[in-house]
Amino acid sequence: MRVIVLSGYGINCEDETLHAFEVVGFRGSIVHINDLILNPKQLDNYQVFAIPGGFSFGDDTGSGNAMAKKIMINLYDQLLNFISKDKLMIGICNGCQILINLGIIPETSTKEPEVALIENNTGNYECRWVDVKVTNKSSPWLSNITTLHLPVAHQEGKFMIPNNINNNYIGLQYINNKRLAKGKFPYNPNGSQNDIAALTNKYGNVLAMMPHPERALYHYHVPNWQNDIFKKYGDGYKIFVNAKNYFK
Amino acid sequence: MTNTIQIVSLEKTGKESSLQKEYNNNSIKILDGYFFSKKLDDKKFKKISKLISNQVSQKILTKKNVNNILSKYSKFNWVIEIKFLPGVTDNIATTVKEIITDNLKNSFKNFQLGSTKIILVKGSKKDITKISNNEANPLIQTIKIYPYKKYLDNFKKNTFTLEKVKLPKKKYIKKEIDLSISDYNLNLIGKLGIKENDKSRRGTLGLDLESLKTIRNYFYSVKRKPTDVEIETLAQTWSEHCKHKIFSAKIDNIKEGIFKKYIKGATEKIIQLRKDNFCVSLFTDNAGGIEFNKNWIVCHKVETHNTPSALDPFGGAITGIVGVNRDCLGFGKGAKPIANTYAYYLAHPSKKYQLYRQKNNKDPMLPADFIAKGIISGVRVGGNCSGIPTPQGNIYFDDRFAGKPLVFCGTVGLIPRKIKGKLAHKKKANPGDIIVMVGGRVGKDGIHGATFSSEELDPNSPVSAVQIGDPITQKKMSDVIIRELRDENLYSSITDNGAGGLSSSIGEMAKESGGFIVDLEKVPLKYDGLYPWEIWVSESQERMTLAIPPANVKKVIKRFNSRGVEATIIGKFIRKEKAIVKYNKTEILNLDMEFLHEGYPKLNLKTSFPKKKKKIKKIIKNISLIEKLHKLLSSPNIVSKEFVATQYDHEVQATSIIKPLQGEGRVFGNATAIKPLFNDEKSIALSQAAYPQYAETNPYQMAASSIDTAFKNLIVSGANLKKIAILDNFCWCSSDDPERLYQLKEAAKACYDYSVAYKTPFISGKDSMFNDFKGFNRSGKSIKISIPPTLLISSIGIVDKISHLTKITPEKGDILIVLGNTYNELEDSVYKKIIGSEKTKSPNVDAKLALKTYKNFAKANKLQLINSAIGIDIGGLGIAISKMAIASKQGLFIDLKSQKKISINEFLFSETQSRILVSIKKNNVSKFKKIFNNSNYTFIGKCTGSNTIEFKNEKKIMIGKISDFEKSYKQRIKGL
Repeated sequence: MRVIVLSGYGINCEDETLHAFEVVGFRGSIVHINDLILNPKQLDNYQVFAIPGGFSFGDDTGSGNAMAKKIMINLYDQLLNFISKDKLMIGICNGCQILINLGIIPETSTKEPEVALIENNTGNYECRWVDVKVTNKSSPWLSNITTLHLPVAHQEGKFMIPNNINNNYIGLQYINNKRLAKGKFPYNPNGSQNDIAALTNKYGNVLAMMPHPERALYHYHVPNWQNDIFKKYGDGYKIFVNAKNYFK
Repeated sequence: MTNTIQIVSLEKTGKESSLQKEYNNNSIKILDGYFFSKKLDDKKFKKISKLISNQVSQKILTKKNVNNILSKYSKFNWVIEIKFLPGVTDNIATTVKEIITDNLKNSFKNFQLGSTKIILVKGSKKDITKISNNEANPLIQTIKIYPYKKYLDNFKKNTFTLEKVKLPKKKYIKKEIDLSISDYNLNLIGKLGIKENDKSRRGTLGLDLESLKTIRNYFYSVKRKPTDVEIETLAQTWSEHCKHKIFSAKIDNIKEGIFKKYIKGATEKIIQLRKDNFCVSLFTDNAGGIEFNKNWIVCHKVETHNTPSALDPFGGAITGIVGVNRDCLGFGKGAKPIANTYAYYLAHPSKKYQLYRQKNNKDPMLPADFIAKGIISGVRVGGNCSGIPTPQGNIYFDDRFAGKPLVFCGTVGLIPRKIKGKLAHKKKANPGDIIVMVGGRVGKDGIHGATFSSEELDPNSPVSAVQIGDPITQKKMSDVIIRELRDENLYSSITDNGAGGLSSSIGEMAKESGGFIVDLEKVPLKYDGLYPWEIWVSESQERMTLAIPPANVKKVIKRFNSRGVEATIIGKFIRKEKAIVKYNKTEILNLDMEFLHEGYPKLNLKTSFPKKKKKIKKIIKNISLIEKLHKLLSSPNIVSKEFVATQYDHEVQATSIIKPLQGEGRVFGNATAIKPLFNDEKSIALSQAAYPQYAETNPYQMAASSIDTAFKNLIVSGANLKKIAILDNFCWCSSDDPERLYQLKEAAKACYDYSVAYKTPFISGKDSMFNDFKGFNRSGKSIKISIPPTLLISSIGIVDKISHLTKITPEKGDILIVLGNTYNELEDSVYKKIIGSEKTKSPNVDAKLALKTYKNFAKANKLQLINSAIGIDIGGLGIAISKMAIASKQGLFIDLKSQKKISINEFLFSETQSRILVSIKKNNVSKFKKIFNNSNYTFIGKCTGSNTIEFKNEKKIMIGKISDFEKSYKQRIKGL
């Protein structure tokens, strides 16, 4: 099982993202986008494509937009091809913003985005831990998970969805003590519509999520972990294990 | 045809909400605008608009739809148009240009563009002025205010304009300067700069008369006149910023100067005492390095960026943080930045100081809240965009920072011990190595930064000294260095371009080889028209200088280019000890290296004991203990800084293990920790401390307290007592005043005494000696505001095991103990400032006793006896108790009879140093007593698990609800 983790132009979570995949049993490589553009055929060697978090192009012209435009003219068809096979793709935070801007999520039919990620209601960057529940239980990334405790860290994480969206596309939603956060800060850290924290595509093999599972891999990542020192992993681990199980 | 693209967000954006709230006006809308130097036809307009906007959340304004769309939001009547001044770094424009060039290729080229913020408002002219004053900085931006009608007109008639950098044609390559002139005229050169042909002056060189005479004598001896480039270079190299003349000067009877005697001297002594390998690289490199484990070295550096942050808070702070990141990249062969730290010393943001750099209310200082907000967001953007976690920091407020804020930015880095068998922290530019500049291009930004930071802020302070960092350009460059080139060992040496630009970086590296020859015309420029001297000293950001063996040059440049980073050959290092710069083959600089680096006249300083200043006494009476706690908890220097912690990404790199917000109640901690390697359980604990409030009373104890607190916080967090290092950042004022120098000497002496006592070495440091403001107040009276002498001690320590890391949250049933004695030391305390107190003393650090406490604590912690712990610092024990309760949401019972020698106020609010509040499980009491052997601790109560804190004395019980204390502690700071 092999994962390709994208890097370059301000992406910055590639190391910890690759590590999370490695911990559950993947082998993988971090590949600079310019190297992938030069040799897109190497995608055949991988089963999982991960676009990690970061600040590609400094969020200028909207987070994820500039990188999406770069992918659009250089790698779009190869990405569609990758998705159409029995493979997995994940975009985390900035990776999520890139996938949304590419229009790959939720519907993959056109090159136009159907959904936008806009600035948090607070008008500020929010780095904090949230609780989310799994809505699309059929996505391989999310199977057998009910809720997750994960950190978010973004300035533009508010999902804006002009046309109502089928529940099957909703990956994760922010909750407040087991119930939907109903837009209430800080449970919903950005004011996201329907408390949405992640979307999937129709088949569930592509997941675009704002929270960072790779930053909640180990139990020591979790706030106040010292209250229970016998656990080994944090909730983020479950997402990566799911990827492994899918190919088992 | 049009030359503008303007974009409106359909939904109210977060920024719009916060502006609307701030100005209590629902009719504010912000547009993203782009102005082009070339007209776009309809097809290109459509294509480019689509590329740079989001069709779901935004709409593009056109001549036809503009009024229709905008009138839906409100009946706007004013427009504020904010653009960067030509030549100021415009990061968004750079990205847009890249997107356009990528997509349109050759069909649209040779154009310039600028990004614009357009704010639409419905309100009075007064409202508009207020908004524009708060949202823009005239030093770096142009602000146009005009009626909405004119805005529509501009659309109709296509009259939006982009200002371009227009530099007059270069009139000369070099200029010979005649120094055989009167002292008066020499002084003018030093203070106002070299005279141009049109009689204008270039801006301060910061050179005093003696330095200029030394330069004159040197050129007499080589029998020619100096060039302007030579004088500019000497000014940079000899600046206080680069040479630290005050720290190296003879002072009273200390011949070697206070740096050599007290700072470096302390570390040399400690190395001698320790006999281990903890210290790896000290004082010689861009940062200081210590051992992390067998295979890795960790380095740390803290810089200040005070003057630039006073002029352009956002730009100053972002440049500060990305600048110190480069110090890490330039440590040894290049360390990966793994954590940022910050500390801001600011004026109260809710107050209006109304200061002016010139008479008649001209040239106003920025308002205190604008400065505070700008600094906070500058570090946010710099740190977050670079993917470096920023866990550790603090903010302190005092009126005396109204003339100059202090902005400390630090970075921790990680580097392997060896690369291909060679020690990674060693580097040496060899004769024959090629000089390659990588990263950003050179512009007029940041010219004279080094020379002017050596001076007070006054009417002559140059405005082009301001730079704005571009974290993405730097991130791209940093990725190539750290992720690819470093481990292939392709370059011999590397250093960053900070203060003094190329003149400083190449000058420093050339010490390793002998000398250098640079062909300055090869340096890539942001725009034409720069004079050679400007290219040579410009502090344009995001650049590193590499020394590369000729055989590797091609490979290195190719690698940078393939990652979208520019890399250019600009010269070579030579064996001969000469500094030579040419421009199109004309020699414009030729100096002996020895003179360049060591030729400056050494100062000879005298100190004198300061006169006592009267202190104002006020005491608030008839106030209960609980009310006092509320007052203190909500005071600006104690209140939670959570709002900063949550906007600084401290989770990136997945290393955060002790977070800035601690416990369920999210208390802003005074130490944090990261675990930098997935395969090693060792962590790095970070803290910092400064006590400017103690400085005027006792500068020696001020420094002692800073060292003790920074050291103690790491012990409390679980660090190994023998693996702690510290950094010194002296920010002083009026350092030509013997009384200030006396305080400096005292503080430095304490640095020696206490670091040696704790055997904790100084590994790096920096000083900034003139943090004074000279100007005028609102009524035109000339005033000087000096910061209180501030010594920031940053501490970095290794925590050997995860299980050694402590928490600040006690559990029900825990016994509470104060480690260390408490004395009547309320002088300069927060309590005295807010509530007031009679006769009292200032804290006095007893290093011997402190060390005993720390050793016992560490021992108990290793045995897992400590269930929770918090260092007691400003505000005293009462605040530490409250923080524990707020963090854990567990009630505490405090027996005020537990000690009898001092009053309740002294017990709870004295700022006696070296104390720790701990909680232990009841069944561990006897083990605890055995370790502490009946000395220096007091059992003060227990954790009840209720929802209150109870204080009991002989007569009564005073009770406060935790949720109320939490409310006070989490009050928003006014003005932020």
